[in-house]
Amino acid sequence: MKCVECNFEGPVPRFRYLYNARIDAPITLRQCPNCQTWLAVDELKAAVVQKVTPGEAPWGKSAGIEDLAEDAKANV
Amino acid sequence: MAEPAQVSLKELEKKQEWWWIAERKRSKRLDYLRKAVWKKGALGGNYAPGIKVDLELPTLFTQAWDFWRFDPIMLRRAKTNSNVLDNITIFITDHAQIMGYMGSAPHTITWRLDGASMVNEELYNEPGIMPEPQEESLKKIAEFNAYWGGQTAIDKLARVLDPEDAVKFLSGAIGWGAPTSAYGYSGKNYEYFMTGKRGFEDIIAEIDASIEKAEDRTIGLPGPDILPLYDRIQNWIAMKTALQASIRWAKRFARLARIIAENFETDPKRKKELLRIAETCERVPAKPPRNLQESLQYDHFIQILARFEAHEGAWPSRPDYYHGPYYDKDVNVEKSITKEEALDLVGEFMIRAYEVGGFAPRWAREGLQGITGTWVWTLGGVKQDGSDACNDLTIAFLQAARLVRVANPTFAFRWHPKVKDEVMREIFECIRHGLGYPSMRNDPILINNAMHWHGHPLEEARTWVHQACMSPNPTTKHGFQPMRMASATANCAKIVEYALHNGYDYVVNMQMGPKTGDARKFTDFEQLFRAWVRQMEWIFSLLVRTVNLGRYKDPEFFGRPFLSGISERAVESGLDAVSYVGERGNCWITAFTYVENADALAAVKKLVFDDKKYTMDQLITALEANWDGYEEMRLDFVRNAPKWGNDDDYVDNIMIRCLEECARFSKEIKCPCGNNWPILPENVSGNIHYANIVGALPNGRRLGDALYDGGVSPGPGLDKNGPTAVLKSCGKIDHIGHGRAFLLNQRLSPSQLAGEKGYQLWRAYMKTWADLGNDHVQFNMVSDATLRAAQKDPEKFSEVIVRVAGYSAHFVDISRKTQDNIIQRTVQGI
Repeated sequence: MKCVECNFEGPVPRFRYLYNARIDAPITLRQCPNCQTWLAVDELKAAVVQKVTPGEAPWGKSAGIEDLAEDAKANV
Repeated sequence: MAEPAQVSLKELEKKQEWWWIAERKRSKRLDYLRKAVWKKGALGGNYAPGIKVDLELPTLFTQAWDFWRFDPIMLRRAKTNSNVLDNITIFITDHAQIMGYMGSAPHTITWRLDGASMVNEELYNEPGIMPEPQEESLKKIAEFNAYWGGQTAIDKLARVLDPEDAVKFLSGAIGWGAPTSAYGYSGKNYEYFMTGKRGFEDIIAEIDASIEKAEDRTIGLPGPDILPLYDRIQNWIAMKTALQASIRWAKRFARLARIIAENFETDPKRKKELLRIAETCERVPAKPPRNLQESLQYDHFIQILARFEAHEGAWPSRPDYYHGPYYDKDVNVEKSITKEEALDLVGEFMIRAYEVGGFAPRWAREGLQGITGTWVWTLGGVKQDGSDACNDLTIAFLQAARLVRVANPTFAFRWHPKVKDEVMREIFECIRHGLGYPSMRNDPILINNAMHWHGHPLEEARTWVHQACMSPNPTTKHGFQPMRMASATANCAKIVEYALHNGYDYVVNMQMGPKTGDARKFTDFEQLFRAWVRQMEWIFSLLVRTVNLGRYKDPEFFGRPFLSGISERAVESGLDAVSYVGERGNCWITAFTYVENADALAAVKKLVFDDKKYTMDQLITALEANWDGYEEMRLDFVRNAPKWGNDDDYVDNIMIRCLEECARFSKEIKCPCGNNWPILPENVSGNIHYANIVGALPNGRRLGDALYDGGVSPGPGLDKNGPTAVLKSCGKIDHIGHGRAFLLNQRLSPSQLAGEKGYQLWRAYMKTWADLGNDHVQFNMVSDATLRAAQKDPEKFSEVIVRVAGYSAHFVDISRKTQDNIIQRTVQGI
């Protein structure tokens, strides 16, 4: 998986697991070991969905993930 | 957001911005006091800017403690506390009518430096709370820590605790808390000191009589029976010393109020108030109260005085019951004060409690985000003769709560079939205003529960108050529990984790529980369940052993002269109130992170043993990898295994089976009084604290994910069949025989429950709740939109309150992870 912030590449578990958006969706929060950026990750695709920063998503860090989780849940 | 002054009340109500409505409706005095109060609850895990640790109390305390070093511990503490009470700086907040705080200034938090060296070291390292000049403060704290190292209550206990138990307990993996009354939850013997029959001078007279009687015997015929009296006389002197110092401390406020009134105050109205304060503080606690102000002041003094003696993590009380007669006398009979003036006093009584705060270690701050302790005040219920105990003050408290909107104290309401509609409407208004309280308790069930588990007689059981968030505790001579330590708090998700990993803990890398077999080789569900039962018995036993020892040794290691002085059985016997002698027993194991067990076991049973979709070997491999690389399998375990809270017998039967095992074992483990240890599933915000301590589980969680939020609440978002299904699942629990109480969080839609129709819907919901025999439910009624807006613009929504678990908090004061966890909870349409 590749960090969208610093292009660091490594297997998903190298990115520190933080917590899930919701238990029944494949979207999680992980942290890049190189630049410490918080990333929203689709665990099924092993891919970064977006960078997570305060204020970037509509309601701050997690609520943006909430929406991603809802979408991902519907698509599984 | 528009300025509130430009928006009509109706519009604010429509937008459910209740905090602006409160600001407009409350009196100028309450508005000032509410805004002037310093928030002591930690924001996530850190103290708010400006909050400083008070060093005056530790200085006065340590000096006197050292000076009186040759005295027995209870007398030494009494004399030491007297030095504090006689000399600590006191203050009167502008416009305030109720006096008393443990710190020397309103922005200070107190430091219980005789509790645990670990906590003292943590304080030294806590950034931001040192008074200026910081370097000088740090030097002073280092000196205190050097003095107290080795002689705090926990230091002493650690020397006698079994070393293996100590290491496993202190790992932080299976339980939390400190087994000492320095940090405990002290129940109070309200039936002794709060019924209007006696003040402290009356108690001192009772103590004097006991001393005189004992001294007559100690100069009489020699024999073994008189030997215990020598210690008891010292204890009685300690109790008397503590009560006398308390009276002197109260009179210092009287003097200060009189000095301000007679020399400085220019406003004649405030001058009159100050003279009334002086009169009040001269009267109580020395003598019994005569009116509402004196009664509230008496109660508040006692709560603060108890906190001069110990940290007191909870605030068990029943204010409408004990102060109600004074409200009735003042407002209805003598008409000496108006309803509005009474509401001011009641609102301030809540604000003064909100003000209280002591330094707590990080685990406690994370576990109780946003607050300083579980100040859950009990309202409603029945009198000892079984009649309705609700009164006009019950309503006044519910109205005041909506005006002052503090997150601490909160209320828990003892519902019973005779509660009048006007009271239920006031309760609903509080919930509709998004306070998250009162929580609703089923009084008939819980009275029976108290009789079932601990053998309290009916009349005594009917006096019960919340000892902490949830647990009923009588307020009677033999029924009240003077010390309940949070360390009988089990991180129950570890039970199923250890059953799956042969007792090994991969988070702390230690063999914790017994070796119950390699789960990869389990061939049927019964093998797993037997392992679960053994791990449960091990965790409960270790925690209870630790707490029992702490309780047994507390009179020797800590000593509670003030608490003893307000406890009938201590005043009568001359023993420390914390001594188990004379107590019936009222213990419970707080079962954190409990529901994961049912969902995890059901998932294994369904997908491994019934459907044979996966092997145990595959499951354990995926769990050891924290589900990394097994996302499809993880989602299968989340989505295709039955989940608690959907009225599905498959998983509900497993939940009940687990509870039956716990109930059976609860009667085998005994407290120092010889009574039972039933479990009480709830979480405060331990579900967040333990997120990084509980490993991956078959319910689909990973290490790091928040655990479920309630005691019997379904997993957030996993209750798919509506609110009745949740109630039906919970209704399958025997709320008398399976445990002490069961916490249920529910989120309701604020738009659906608007207006009269909303109230009627809620009443119908509550009827179903009661008919199904549930003992507890509490509500969040704040929309997702408001909560998300508060995440985005916290400064604009600083007054939004949510129900976290057994307590409420301002939404912006809790961590992002806890906020997310609350948003994830299913909003139930009813």
